[in-house]
Amino acid sequence: MQELFWLANTVVAAPLVGAVISGVGLKFLSRIVTHWLTTTLVALSFFCSLAILIGYINGRYATYDHNLYTWAQAGNLTLTVGFLIDRLSAVMITVVTFVSWMVHIYSIGYMADDPGYKRFFCYISLFTFAMLMLVMANNFMQLFFGWEGVGLVSYLLIGFWFKKSSAIFANLKAFLVNRVGDFGYLLGIAVIFYYFNTLHYADVFTQIKPATPTTLICILLFIGAMAKSAQIPLHVWLPDSMEGPTPISALIHAATMVTAGVYMVARMSPLFENSVLVLSLITIIGAATCFFMGILGVVQKDIKRIVAYSTLSQLGYMVVALGISAYSAAIFHLVTHAFFKALLFLGAGSAIIAMHHDQDIFNMGNLRKYMPITFVTMLIGSLALIGFPGTAGFYSKDLIIEAAKYSSAPAGEIAYYATLFSVFVTALYTFRLIFLVFFTNERMGNSVREHLHECKPVVTWPLIALAVPSVLVGMFMINGILHDFFADSIKVLPQNNVLAEFAQQQYTGPFSMLLHGFISMPFLLMLLGVATAWLCYVKYPNIPSVLTKRAYIVRTILINKYGFDLLYEKIIMPCVRWCGYGLWKIADVLLIDRLVVNGTAYSIAGVARYLRVLQSGYLYHYVFTMIAGLLVLLLYLFYG
Amino acid sequence: MPDILFMIFASIAVLSALTVVLVKNPVYAVLSLIACFIATSLVWLGLDAEFLAWTLILVYVGAVLVLFLFIVMMLDIRFATMRARFSRWLPVGIAITAALVAMLLAFIAKDKFIPNADVAILAYGKDNVRNAELLGNHIFTNYLAQFEVAGVILLVAIIAAIGLIYRGPRNRRQQNVHKQISADPRDRVRLVSGE
Amino acid sequence: MLQYLVFSLSLFGIGIAGLFINRKNIILLLMCIELILLSANTNFVIFAKYWGDIGGQAFVFFVMTVAAAEAAIGLALLVLVFRSIKSINVEDINQLKG
Repeated sequence: MQELFWLANTVVAAPLVGAVISGVGLKFLSRIVTHWLTTTLVALSFFCSLAILIGYINGRYATYDHNLYTWAQAGNLTLTVGFLIDRLSAVMITVVTFVSWMVHIYSIGYMADDPGYKRFFCYISLFTFAMLMLVMANNFMQLFFGWEGVGLVSYLLIGFWFKKSSAIFANLKAFLVNRVGDFGYLLGIAVIFYYFNTLHYADVFTQIKPATPTTLICILLFIGAMAKSAQIPLHVWLPDSMEGPTPISALIHAATMVTAGVYMVARMSPLFENSVLVLSLITIIGAATCFFMGILGVVQKDIKRIVAYSTLSQLGYMVVALGISAYSAAIFHLVTHAFFKALLFLGAGSAIIAMHHDQDIFNMGNLRKYMPITFVTMLIGSLALIGFPGTAGFYSKDLIIEAAKYSSAPAGEIAYYATLFSVFVTALYTFRLIFLVFFTNERMGNSVREHLHECKPVVTWPLIALAVPSVLVGMFMINGILHDFFADSIKVLPQNNVLAEFAQQQYTGPFSMLLHGFISMPFLLMLLGVATAWLCYVKYPNIPSVLTKRAYIVRTILINKYGFDLLYEKIIMPCVRWCGYGLWKIADVLLIDRLVVNGTAYSIAGVARYLRVLQSGYLYHYVFTMIAGLLVLLLYLFYG
Repeated sequence: MPDILFMIFASIAVLSALTVVLVKNPVYAVLSLIACFIATSLVWLGLDAEFLAWTLILVYVGAVLVLFLFIVMMLDIRFATMRARFSRWLPVGIAITAALVAMLLAFIAKDKFIPNADVAILAYGKDNVRNAELLGNHIFTNYLAQFEVAGVILLVAIIAAIGLIYRGPRNRRQQNVHKQISADPRDRVRLVSGE
Repeated sequence: MLQYLVFSLSLFGIGIAGLFINRKNIILLLMCIELILLSANTNFVIFAKYWGDIGGQAFVFFVMTVAAAEAAIGLALLVLVFRSIKSINVEDINQLKG
């Protein structure tokens, strides 16, 4: 296993080295050196992870669980840095490093005229390191380290343009909402340690008995996942996180960080399988996020916000898959989503560059004439997103919908209908975007139109590189997914195993699934969605404005994002602030300062005032006291 | 010691002790104390502590109590200035003293302190051994260090006493800080008339 | 033997009572302390005879030494006090009032 050890360590260490060197050398390294260094190191990381993945596919490697270093020990608690490599983490690290590499290359072009260029590369390398630590962890504390690390770098990157006040609000919002999730997650880790006395995955999983409170643990862990993977109600940070540069929206908020929650639940499948309540809860939350967030994507003007709500909706799909115990399907969708969503974000970024950083889709139009490569790649990405048969997105999305159909879980029906109707909504907002940006009439100003051209190759090559797996990955992975590729890493109870049922009853191979896809319900809904978008935005463009006037209330609700932001701002935060104020004024000032601290001083002074009388200064008082004391002492000695 | 002699000397000692406490004139008190010590020393003679008895008279009476007498006579004490207020603590004090004495009495009245035979004249150890010789042997073999320390204590006492009292040659002008601080303007200046 | 002990005890009691009923002067205080020390010494001598152990008398030797030193220094302090407050009444020494 020597080579696996070296490969694994390189995968993690290379981005760290890149981040540290470029961070330390911010002042004296040049831009070119910085981007070459970080990009090459991340590429190295990608090739090593690819080698690991191929080794696992070939069956050459077995599950590898190795503690590298013990960094703390206190009583029972031993905190180590260790790596757990198996098929699940091999797939994840390959995806993470690939998308990270593409984003690094893309950023060379996108951030070319930004003063914080070198800082950006340092941060994205650091992010890659933290994400890899999260994925390759073999104990809960290291996962939490990676969890917090990606949260931190997300904060740093959302507020990358820190002079913009909206960026600062957004990054604080992201960090604080994530903190709420981290609180739940940390409580979960504490309960795990309390019951299992260890934080190592392998030890915890072998010790699960019917008596352990898996419901409590899983709810707490899922709160963390809710914040990290932006599920309702902790989803509010993701749309605002679009204040950051587009490459990081692609890297962090589409492909990798937000999927950490999904990965964590899949990794903890032995724990989650034990609790039907938590699985149902997960399904319902995922279904709600999937459906309702998609609808919000229909009323957005900002191109990045549309893709952000699309991310929220797809995350809902993944979480629904987790809830119906189709963990492998969730991971599958995670992988395909990483590719096409990163592609969509990077493509949107390319359009934004061309439009001189104007992000309003109502100011764009007919861009396919000017930016053909961007158009083609974004079209491919959109087809993958809506699940057009043949693309990777089709395989993963339809797998989830079919699995929901077979599910006998309590919330399985909700899951099925939510995911099914989301297909319609997804197609609607996706093609609304495509039509408004790449087709229809040109609405941009003349000055912008004169400079409108395709971006440089360093920007378009990653788009092409991401478009390829968006199409091909699906048909190659589906066999493995359905035939227990992740059997060692993910545990599913036999009665919940919807994927096995699907594989048995309906599945006969990728090609037949493709053909069957053309006559299935999702395809119908998808066509309906595309047709609706075409009708409303290409053929009769005044339909939206009419609807706006007629359905004014609905539109207000949608514009206000169902009031979640208002809820937090106007109701919950004042309560929290009131609690804080109360704790300050009463607990801190009154009780601790006045009662305990000053009170101790006053009571000592009071007692002293009474005791002072004893010091009368009269000699015979003292003599008297001495002899009385002598008497007491003798009494004690003789009779005590 | 024959009982009768002990009785005589013991009663002299106790009576003079009472005199010490009850008499008004401090000189009489000191003289009574001297008498008490002499009587006690005679009792010690009867208890085969010859060396100590003589030491008591020579050192204690002859030096310490004479020192007391010097001090009493040196300080100009108006011995009639007994502010004869009956303190409210006095009964409590008497009670405590009585309790102490009673307790100790009860303790020593236990049987273990009463030997079967009369306490006879014992020569501690061999016959014809002189008390001083015996005591000297004992101290200088077992308690030599403590002996030296006792010497040092006496030295310290001498130095301390001189250091506390001695104010220098008589006709040296010196500041009396206490007098300076306790000077009161009302003693020095008196307003006679205000014209 | 008992009578010796009673004798010693009575000297002790008189000494302590003297401490209490003393309203007059400090010299009386010091003298009562000497009485108490005397009674302790007598006790040592008695028990030295009773147990046949010369160590009791050795102890008396040292107690006497210390008592003499203490009396000397006590009197020196008394003289100093008298110089400042011109009185040796016990009630006048109350400047260390708390």
